[in-house]
Amino acid sequence: MTQPPVFAVVGHPNKGKSSVVATLSQNDAIAIALEPGTTRASQRYPLTVDGRQLYTLTDTPGFQRPRRVLQWLEAHSLSASDHPDTVRAFVLQHKGDERYIDECELLSPIIEGAGIIYVVDGSVPYSAEHEAEMTILRWTGRPSLALINSIGPDDYSDVWQAALGQFFQVVRKFDAVRAPFDQHLSLLRTFGQLEPHWEQPLDEATLLLSEQRNQRQRQAASMIARALEDLMSYQEKRTLTLDQVASTSEATLADILRDRWYKRQRRREQSLRIDIEHLYQHQRITRQEAELEWANQHDLFSEDTRQHWAVSKKYLATAGFGAGAMGGAGVDALTFGSSLGTGALVGGLIGAAGSYFYGDRLLLPALNIGPLQNGLQSASFGPVQDSQFGYVILGRAVDHWWHISHRNHAGRGLLALEPADQHWLEQLDKTSRREIQRTLDRCRKQRPLNHSQRQILALSIAQAMAAYDNWRLNRG
Amino acid sequence: MSQNPLRLLLDVDNRFQRDRDQTPAFLHRRDRRFALDCEQQGISPTPAHWLDHMQRLSGPGSADQAGRTALRQWRRINSGFAAAGALFGVLTMAGLLFYDGGQRINITVLLAFVLLQLLLALATTAQSIMGWQPWRWLSKRLSIPPPGSALAPLQPALMARAGHTGGVAFAFTSLLTLLILLVIQDLAFGWSTTLDTAAQGYHRLLQTIAAPWAFVWPAAAPSQELIEATRFFRAAPTSAGTTPERWGQWWPFVVMLWVTWVLVPRMILLALSHWLTGRKARQLLHSHPGMQALLYRMETPTLDTGNQHNDAADLPDVRTQAKISELCNTRHLICWAGAGEPELPRQLTTHNSQILKAGGRASLIEDDHVLATLATDLAKETSPAVILVTRSWEPPTGELCDFLDQAMELWPAGSRVMILPLANDANQSPKNHLVQPWLRFTERLPEGFATVALLPLSPGAPYQSAGASTS
Repeated sequence: MTQPPVFAVVGHPNKGKSSVVATLSQNDAIAIALEPGTTRASQRYPLTVDGRQLYTLTDTPGFQRPRRVLQWLEAHSLSASDHPDTVRAFVLQHKGDERYIDECELLSPIIEGAGIIYVVDGSVPYSAEHEAEMTILRWTGRPSLALINSIGPDDYSDVWQAALGQFFQVVRKFDAVRAPFDQHLSLLRTFGQLEPHWEQPLDEATLLLSEQRNQRQRQAASMIARALEDLMSYQEKRTLTLDQVASTSEATLADILRDRWYKRQRRREQSLRIDIEHLYQHQRITRQEAELEWANQHDLFSEDTRQHWAVSKKYLATAGFGAGAMGGAGVDALTFGSSLGTGALVGGLIGAAGSYFYGDRLLLPALNIGPLQNGLQSASFGPVQDSQFGYVILGRAVDHWWHISHRNHAGRGLLALEPADQHWLEQLDKTSRREIQRTLDRCRKQRPLNHSQRQILALSIAQAMAAYDNWRLNRG
Repeated sequence: MSQNPLRLLLDVDNRFQRDRDQTPAFLHRRDRRFALDCEQQGISPTPAHWLDHMQRLSGPGSADQAGRTALRQWRRINSGFAAAGALFGVLTMAGLLFYDGGQRINITVLLAFVLLQLLLALATTAQSIMGWQPWRWLSKRLSIPPPGSALAPLQPALMARAGHTGGVAFAFTSLLTLLILLVIQDLAFGWSTTLDTAAQGYHRLLQTIAAPWAFVWPAAAPSQELIEATRFFRAAPTSAGTTPERWGQWWPFVVMLWVTWVLVPRMILLALSHWLTGRKARQLLHSHPGMQALLYRMETPTLDTGNQHNDAADLPDVRTQAKISELCNTRHLICWAGAGEPELPRQLTTHNSQILKAGGRASLIEDDHVLATLATDLAKETSPAVILVTRSWEPPTGELCDFLDQAMELWPAGSRVMILPLANDANQSPKNHLVQPWLRFTERLPEGFATVALLPLSPGAPYQSAGASTS
């Protein structure tokens, strides 16, 4: 059985080798810093399927003394045919030598059969000073590929491309921080083309990675659906003794319950954020996002939040029409169609009118005080009676998901979730709109969803995510 | 292993509920591992096997208590229906066969009652198939099943099962009551109706009703003579010409009527409700979103992208003590690894500048030559200093360190090196994050030997070719 391919990611210090490995291995816990020598030992990152390795990426330290190594190699070689053996001899001879510790670390996987991924920074000018490194790599005789990563804003990649072409079989541009997922897969396929027997494992890996991404999207939709259901149907309850009833005014009680209600809703939203981030293997994101907040007693959210994420009255009316029509259709079914569809029409109109007239008001959930029983009285706050709350939650959640799913693991910057305007949801198909609206209605009436309704909601949210992705794409 | 589909549904649903907060990656690993183990052992990874595996790993007492409670609750409901049915069976039959020696027991009433029983039984089943729950308000009030229970969609089928259990108990105890009363009393059956029905027509009706057992037990199918002889009218209490034992000859028909049209249909429908409940439970299990996710996890290989290693906290120490110093006036310049190409800033090039190249594309012998040349020249100076021009974006490497180590050995004592990192645009200052590694590099060298300096900014200064003015 052939050994799974190994790819040694090598290069000059501080050119983004670890960033490339972090992105391709979806590992945001790899130390990346603008400091040369952050990687001091080679580290293997195997991609495994059911415990079976398909390929391994090896992150290595950068070259420190390439001219001295090359001088040694040239002094110990007679002809081109002994170049790989001479490199092996160098590593064997200098194992444990402090001066060549980095070279030994980076050359070891290569002499053991690894393919070479040579990383340069395309945002700085080409320098012929790298030629010693490239010559050493060529001496190893291993299949090789050069990656032009871009750390800074400038672009010298064309010059690099021309120069690297003289030393490497394949030269590709790859921005480790910003490259979209399709480019990750394309790059991995290119790795597979370096040697004939590497093609199959790399193709298998890309297929599985692609499927994993699709599955993650479905799982994210289910997570958002569950959170939406929780948030829309949540009711804050408190049981009071007679003394407490006497000593607390209704307004104070409302304030306490509302405060608790908001805190809990925020916690639930935060747990959704973390779940989505962990789903995409982001464990260390620093996120900046406006909290769910309200401006005054009569409004659920600040004006900004509402303007950014709530849907328009027109949208609500159409979604409300669909949801109402579905209810009215039940009347038609009961009359075996003898009502000639008027049930659906009337239901639709009622739903649309309700949604239209209440669509621009974000009403607070009401405080309910229950009857006195056994010396105790219960008070409750929520669930929220306005479906706009659901759309705000959905908008924020889908936006966060989109940023996370498009974020590479080499990215170490702050994730700032800027609010977007509301028009994206209007690209959603009518069925999904209607299903989301129906679910929001069910939740606010505290009617539990069954499995099938949950599935339908998750599918509708998956459609909403696709609509958002499309909207982002077209927005540029 | 859980074989009962209801228990399986409840147990699996409970497992899925417990898994809700687990990470998808963990669940995938766990279930894929189970599927692969099954494949090795040649076992089919069914939900029952999966559940058994989970319970075995969790140890004794891990079974779902809420599910057990729900099933116990339904067993109690079934027992309650059975007990009530049994009691009502005795009372109803005793009432139907009440005979004080005066009036006859009207067969027509018995027929109507049997028809009612049959219709009730069929309605119970039809209602469960259609999912109609007229008693929903009651079960909701009693929290049967508890909110969110996996049994909620099975409620109509389970209620039908309870109803039929009660129906069977009712039919059975009423049959027993009938038999006991037949033995301990003399019952006088007759038939009566207000309608102008001839005995012949009544006979045809009874023949149809008795058709299922007429061949097996002909005596249980009433003859036309018996029918003609046992008609009675309440207005004419005595029926002359009919012997008293003639009235009792109806009993085989009554027994078979009850067995065939009350007891047997109830038993068949009870069996059907059991089957429907099981089928619905299996359907629910199959269509459970958790089950679909479980099957997906078992079928799809787990993918580990190599994200286990974590050295995010193992970052180099970037505290910097060294400060940027002023660029001193010296004519000795070394351009390290191509720095200053294609042009050096004019401030660095005076008419007597000595500009040397080392590192990068220069060979190590050329580096040695540069060091030797400077050693000779610096020996003639009172305050020997050299400016080492570097590219700020190419961080210091081991080669530069070696070069400076050699310089320290060769150059006269007290020689100083000023490292001058240039930005890509030499008219600009290099970015701070690019200068910092150079400062830390000088900290690692013997104290006082090397410092970092920056070029004073003079925008618009023309450039001097690096190789144009060498001495």
